[in-house]
Amino acid sequence: MLKASDVSFSYESGRRTARRVIDRVSFDVDRGTIVGLLGPNGSGKTTLVRILAGMLHPESGQVVLDGASVIEMSRRDLARRVALVPQETHTTFDFSVIDMVLMGRYPHLGPFELERPADLDIAREALDATGTADLESRSFRTLSGGEKQRVVIAAALAQASDLLLLDEPTTALDVGYQFEVAMLLKRLNAEHGTTMIVSTHDLNLAASLCERVVLLKSGSLIAQGPTAETLTAENIRLLYNVEADVQFHARAGHLTVVPLGRP
Amino acid sequence: MAAASKILKHIAIIVALIVATGSSTDLPASREALRWTAVASAQAGEVRPTRIISLVPATTEMLFVMGAGHRIAGVSDYDRFPPEVAKLPKVGGLIDPNVERIISLKPDLVIVYDTQTDLKQQLDRARIPTFRYVHRGLPDITETMRMLGDRIGAKDAANAAAARIEAQLGAVKARVAGRPRPSTLLVFGRDAGALRHIDASGGYGFLHDVLELAGGTDVLGDLKQQSVDVSTEMILRRAPEAIIELHYGESLKTDRIEDERKVWNALPSVPAVKNNRVYLLRGDEFVVPGPRIVIAAERFAQTLHPEVFQR
Amino acid sequence: MTHAVAAHRPRVTVRVRLAWTIAVFGTIAFLACLLAPLAGSTPIHLSTVFDRSLPYADNIDAQIFWVARLPRVLAAALVGSSLALAGVVFQALLRNPLASPDTLGVSAGASLGAMIAITFNLDFSLFGVTAVPVASFIGSFGALGIVYGLSAARRRGTSTIVLLLGGVTVQALLSAVIAFVQYLADFTQTFRNVRWLMGSLDVASYPPLLAALIPMGTSWIGFATLPRVLDLISIGHESAAARGVDVDRFERVALVSASLATGAAVALAGPVSFVGLIVPHLVRLIVGADHRLVLPASALFGAAFLIGCDLVARTIIAPLELPVGIITAIIGGPVFLWLLLRKS
Repeated sequence: MLKASDVSFSYESGRRTARRVIDRVSFDVDRGTIVGLLGPNGSGKTTLVRILAGMLHPESGQVVLDGASVIEMSRRDLARRVALVPQETHTTFDFSVIDMVLMGRYPHLGPFELERPADLDIAREALDATGTADLESRSFRTLSGGEKQRVVIAAALAQASDLLLLDEPTTALDVGYQFEVAMLLKRLNAEHGTTMIVSTHDLNLAASLCERVVLLKSGSLIAQGPTAETLTAENIRLLYNVEADVQFHARAGHLTVVPLGRP
Repeated sequence: MAAASKILKHIAIIVALIVATGSSTDLPASREALRWTAVASAQAGEVRPTRIISLVPATTEMLFVMGAGHRIAGVSDYDRFPPEVAKLPKVGGLIDPNVERIISLKPDLVIVYDTQTDLKQQLDRARIPTFRYVHRGLPDITETMRMLGDRIGAKDAANAAAARIEAQLGAVKARVAGRPRPSTLLVFGRDAGALRHIDASGGYGFLHDVLELAGGTDVLGDLKQQSVDVSTEMILRRAPEAIIELHYGESLKTDRIEDERKVWNALPSVPAVKNNRVYLLRGDEFVVPGPRIVIAAERFAQTLHPEVFQR
Repeated sequence: MTHAVAAHRPRVTVRVRLAWTIAVFGTIAFLACLLAPLAGSTPIHLSTVFDRSLPYADNIDAQIFWVARLPRVLAAALVGSSLALAGVVFQALLRNPLASPDTLGVSAGASLGAMIAITFNLDFSLFGVTAVPVASFIGSFGALGIVYGLSAARRRGTSTIVLLLGGVTVQALLSAVIAFVQYLADFTQTFRNVRWLMGSLDVASYPPLLAALIPMGTSWIGFATLPRVLDLISIGHESAAARGVDVDRFERVALVSASLATGAAVALAGPVSFVGLIVPHLVRLIVGADHRLVLPASALFGAAFLIGCDLVARTIIAPLELPVGIITAIIGGPVFLWLLLRKS
């Protein structure tokens, strides 16, 4: 569904202070899969997410979504196909939960068009899907971290896109809400076939959620492939300079990663 | 014995004057000045201030009129009359007196505004005598002249000048006595070319007094304010019979006078506009409550009662 | 899935809420415009105002209505709505509920222009508008130019902070220049400067209103494109961009529109405090945070609010009049404190 080919990006390109943050990265994402984007701080994950969302233009290489280059699409078009769940959402004003979710309908409306009942239904379905239907009239600010993140995911769902980009979706949450959100994403993928790219440095989240992982270090891709084969102790050492034990956990049903120390 | 009682009389008058002009918070300084002046008097007028700094344009003019112009060592930034002041050192003004400059000129008397308490304290500390200029209305002009004259040892000249001014003002008043007094809007300023931000006399202050003396009634006189922000609604309601606009310095060019007068045509129901009694007067004598106030009074009177001044 | 949807109570759509908002606030603004010219410290009669048998030159009631009051009420409406709209936009643009039209220095630029015109006795007229308002508007444009240049030169990622800091610096710099110009002024000019800074809606003629409509009308065109976008941007630049918003472009439109509106308002009536800060908050208390409701409601309520404040200013201590800025501050200050306390 999505194919990144030889994508490179530098901040302040063409100037003396240019620094290359993505260097010839290529990977594929098949429809209906959950792909994890892993790497330490400064690996270029956030930049890559922005490129995939069309916010930044690569200086070379291209990103192709269902056969069309992301750069050549209009913003509106791209927004209809790719939705972003940012790491944290801070609201300046006191929007209600349903207000937040209805904003996800923006790419589907004209510049002066107001939401119709059909849009409201879609928003409510999204709230249902994320288990936040009873929060509809609540003020977004008063929600817990986990509830907020689920509402933001609902807003992304309301955008009715084929692809969901999630930038560190559980980093700001406590372990309980991390679990909730991870389960929600799994369920959405299972029930609706939503394709997801999850950028994270939570190795256990990647292990539990993602079918495939893409490993990024200092802007370069060092490995990609099915999680079981790619998320190895060797690769973790390469990526994070950490000695870790990677085991299949029978009760959890997926790989777990336990850091042991510096090599 | 006769000399001694004369000296005592001098001292008594001076004490009375100083108490009258000073306030209770001043006592140490007054006593200082009292001692100094008493000494001066005792030595039969040998020590008179000869390096006077005047921060007030009005008192500068007063000093010249009483023949003490040569004794002025410094004036304010805003002094413009008489022409001799152009050559004198400038030491700031009401808001921004340059204390260092003042002290560096080694004055033996500094005339300060009543509200310049900080400056006065600094000068007291530097042991420089001060004269506090208080100004409320028209009578204060000659009152101040007399006090100042006495203070600097030019009493006779000052009293004569003050008497002359009072006589001239009295003459103006007499000339317009019995004439009908038009209700007058006395405008101090407004935006050029528009009837906006109009600032007018509200029934208090020396210009108000001069207006009344010159045979006009202040149309806003009941408000008892030195200046009032006047709206067009107020003007329409009060319907003044005459409007006098004052312009100082370079603020009104001759070729603009007619255009500025025409601005008032926006209010045709006002009697002053209807009867063509809108007057624009230019001059600095309106800003300085000093000896030239006589000119201001004569001009007001000529403007409001031209028939009395036909030659 | 649909059974869960049906269980919700039906929600009033934004379409309906917008209709109600415009109806209610529009009525308030309309009534204010209609009734305010008839109220004041001098009683006038509508029948006399429109009495054709009385020649205009003799008709005091008519002159009070057409010269003293109607331009004033219209000025209050234009200035009140412009400042309120600018306030809403600046608060969203800077993602700061304490922002106001004064924050980025546009108001200071306008004040500087006016001070220069007053201090240096500038005397000219452009399309029936005199030196002080023209210089004031040019000053606001200058300030806008500096802030716009800063925002265009900014790098990605720290845009809001750079804009805010740059604007605050411009504001501080211009205030210092204003102080310097006042220092150069003589006593009477200082007096007039201070009076101008207190604000005055007594425009007494129509050309300044028509002239103000040009930049204000332009700003309204800009504002019309902004409501939904402001919602999206106020949540975050990334989210907005990911939903298809051209954030850079809309931020520029917002900045220029809000600055034009502020510059025109300050040039017309001098700086009037608190309107741009308070009205958006009061409106949000009633209609919620959706900018598609907040923008039109603020424009209408801002107009009515300033008309009301001006009515109080010109009647409460009759025959004297208070500067309208004092009334807006007396009302605005406590209301703002109350809002702050409410939030915490």
